[in-house]
Amino acid sequence: MSATLVLQDVARHFGGVPAVDGVSLRVPAGQITGLIGPNGAGKTTVVNLITGLLHLTSGKVLLEDRDVSREEAPDLARAGVARTFQNIRLVPDASVLDNVIAGFHRHEKAGLWANLLGLPSARAETAELKRQAMQLLERFDMTALAEHRAGGLSYGHQRRIEMMRALATNPKLLLLDEPVAGMNDAEAESLAGIFRKVAADGVAVLLIEHNMRFVMSLCSHIYVLASGRLIAEGLPEAVGRDPKVVEAYLGA
Amino acid sequence: MINFFYTYQSLFDHILVYALLAMSQYVVLRAGVFSLGTAGFAAMGAYGTALLITKAGWSPVAAIAAGALLGTVTSALLAFPLSRLRGVFQAVATLAFVQIVLSATQNWVSLTNGALGVNGIPKVASTPVLLVVVVVVVLLLVAMGRYSVGRAMDVIREDETVAVSLGISVPYYHRIAFIVSGALAGLGGALQATSSYAITPNEFGFSMLVAALTMVVLGGRTTVWGALVGAAILTSLPELFRVFADYRNVVQGILLMLVIVYLPRGVADTVLGRMRDRRLRRAALASAPVPEQKPQIVNTNMEAGAHP
Repeated sequence: MSATLVLQDVARHFGGVPAVDGVSLRVPAGQITGLIGPNGAGKTTVVNLITGLLHLTSGKVLLEDRDVSREEAPDLARAGVARTFQNIRLVPDASVLDNVIAGFHRHEKAGLWANLLGLPSARAETAELKRQAMQLLERFDMTALAEHRAGGLSYGHQRRIEMMRALATNPKLLLLDEPVAGMNDAEAESLAGIFRKVAADGVAVLLIEHNMRFVMSLCSHIYVLASGRLIAEGLPEAVGRDPKVVEAYLGA
Repeated sequence: MINFFYTYQSLFDHILVYALLAMSQYVVLRAGVFSLGTAGFAAMGAYGTALLITKAGWSPVAAIAAGALLGTVTSALLAFPLSRLRGVFQAVATLAFVQIVLSATQNWVSLTNGALGVNGIPKVASTPVLLVVVVVVVLLLVAMGRYSVGRAMDVIREDETVAVSLGISVPYYHRIAFIVSGALAGLGGALQATSSYAITPNEFGFSMLVAALTMVVLGGRTTVWGALVGAAILTSLPELFRVFADYRNVVQGILLMLVIVYLPRGVADTVLGRMRDRRLRRAALASAPVPEQKPQIVNTNMEAGAHP
């Protein structure tokens, strides 16, 4: 079975120092795959390599069997790669709704002149996107905050906006970079339900996390990264018992 | 009385022309382009229009259209190399462009009359004409800001990494913003020439560049109303402070510092933000039949919104 995303022996060096080295992994559609590791293991570097924000030093990235190693970030986004950011990145002065609508960008069809002049086709499209965005807001239980300034909301709400914006792109591959950092267990559990549903709809989800317990409960397959190298992979229970993983997390 | 009316009217014309220049500056800043080119494009529009009327005998309307087109075409040519640059490099490159245009207006004497400028331009851009142009431009910019282009520009201004991760092409929208800005500045320059009988090179120098930038910072960067409010305040201020004629720039500078420190989002953006918060609070109160949980959550969010 071919996976949505395949990394083959991927490496990235910064001035000769390897940040990520020899990483190979597979993220199949319809499942949540975990990528865990202690601070500074290179998890976010892997996400930046997949999304084209950084370029590989060596190795290959395959998206649905197509080599995308050299493609630029906007092209990858248009090909169906979406992500959330570890440090929240929104348009703080725009409303929640407008932040989510921005995620639909790659599906917009109205022409430049229609959008510049506000012609009916652009209006109809924006109205339709607003409707779809409201559905997303409903799913995340945030309809009451639709018109609020995104930057004024709580941390948990801002994380949800990031996720809605990523889902609005209707991705094939969704990269979640520490999506529940700083949330309490109840909040994290409600998001876990949403992630399961997204995966069940056929999206390949790569969950980058710190929180072992959360990853264990959610992922069908886990990769463990430490100092830029994969040190273990497999089913959650097996990985959790692996002495190398325990050592990386707790120290020797 | 009559005297007062005439003073008032020329001030009003001045505000309207500067509103166009401020909107030209607003468009680029909204898309996160740090362009200072407005003064250069305005000079091209003004000289193009003035010379076509006085030397080539064109009809004023055709000359104004040609002046605006000159600004548009020049900005379109510059847009391609400039959209590869970012931030302070864009600022320096556009500053160099303004400098080149200024040198040409001062030193290409056979064409531009040098420091004497161009005189005897018929005043065809009367107050009503200027008012209609500004209203039309405001409507166009409101439309531009409301749909796909405006959303993409907002994301780019706030965070280019997010923009590319959503599939937004940053250079493409930078170019659009730059060309629209050049068109508006060219039009503003053309109308300045045809509303003031004469133009000289020093009108388009550093002071115009700073004025356009200051208006947008003072008024607010995220809506077109900011540019209008900024133009109105900054143009009428020197008239109100006539008593301190010698200290005009000092007063202007102090005001700018106060706004940056106490209203960093600008006057119009702050007022619009407050209005939105109040509207939401009222809506939350009106639709709160069960006053147990929801209103409380909404209220804390409002507090956070009011004090970013």
